[in-house]
Amino acid sequence: MAELSCLVVEDSPMMRQLLVFALARIKRLHVTEAEDGVDGLRKLAQGKYDLIITDINMPIMDGLKLVKRIRSDEAHKDVPIIIITTEGSQEDRQRAMALGATAYITKPIQAPQVIAKVKELLSIE
Amino acid sequence: MSDEDEPRDGGRRASDVPMDLLKEREAFVRSFLKKGVEYTELLLRENRELREELDEVRNENARLRSQVASDDAIRDLLRTVERLEAERRALLDRSKQLERFEAEHEHRQAQIEQEMNDLANLYVASFQLHGSLSVRRVVRHLQDMVGQLVGADAFVIYVIDDAAGRIVPIAHEHVEPSEVRALELGEGPVGEACMTGLRRLRELDVHRVDRSDPVAVIPLLADGKPVGAVEIVRLLEQKSGWASVDHELFELLAAHAGAALIAANLYEQAGGPLGALRHLTSKL
Repeated sequence: MAELSCLVVEDSPMMRQLLVFALARIKRLHVTEAEDGVDGLRKLAQGKYDLIITDINMPIMDGLKLVKRIRSDEAHKDVPIIIITTEGSQEDRQRAMALGATAYITKPIQAPQVIAKVKELLSIE
Repeated sequence: MSDEDEPRDGGRRASDVPMDLLKEREAFVRSFLKKGVEYTELLLRENRELREELDEVRNENARLRSQVASDDAIRDLLRTVERLEAERRALLDRSKQLERFEAEHEHRQAQIEQEMNDLANLYVASFQLHGSLSVRRVVRHLQDMVGQLVGADAFVIYVIDDAAGRIVPIAHEHVEPSEVRALELGEGPVGEACMTGLRRLRELDVHRVDRSDPVAVIPLLADGKPVGAVEIVRLLEQKSGWASVDHELFELLAAHAGAALIAANLYEQAGGPLGALRHLTSKL
């Protein structure tokens, strides 16, 4: 079975590491980390990804702008995007979904929740 | 006429028998023969009837034999049904047992998943706290730990300013700046925690916001002495109470956050790694 790749865009090193830990439990999934939206775009320019997970609140370029940029890029317009939000920030979530995000996960993140969502979007058994 | 025709006893010859008597004898013989025929017919009829009865008895016998055989078959079938029923019950019991086992397995798996998740949280929090020697980054990690791992929506982080004898806020999230101020040692729940080093957790009504009774105050300790505190003002909406991992995270916060802040501060004051190692040998 082919390798799958995932880009994690999260400015908090703690949250990034937690996401990487959770995703490491999915076989054949290769994870690339990006520190913010701009770093995320840089990584996207360097390769193709099967899935993108991004936080909303980030410095330099936030998750909403990143989602918009990804969807306007022909090379990545169909890549599923999971956004990470807090339960209370429904507006951000709605805006992200309207901009083209595929799904969302609420904080505090739980590894089983992340794994289930990623598997669902990548159609992994 | 021959001698044979002559009756020896001097009796009469047949031709000498009167006609009436002959007729009577003939009638008798006929009657006798007729009765013989009738009797024979009767015997034949009775024989036929007996044969018929015998046939009936034979048929009945065959029917009864067949019924007995059929009863045996039914008894065999009933025994088979009983055996199959017992097998079915055993299979159902086994199936229920397997269902229970599967449910227990799923429950255990969920528990293990949760424990792995909790351990990952603790490991990452500890790794990040001690993996940085920049005060800003340590404070940022502290904020992430309280906000993202514990699930606090609004909180303030304080340290004790020994020179001023006060407790000063160094970071806060979702608390109005006007409501974030320095405190006296012993003032309010935060001041008390900074004096006593004792943790304060509200177990019930966790979504009530009351600065005079915060949902949690976690003292930050170094070498067993309080050096600051985290005041959790409000929890995230989806958080309904404290999970076991929260208590572990509070232990980690209390035991490691203060030390991480001190280490980062001293490191920066020393101007880098080599400066921070200066005079180390004289202390061994």
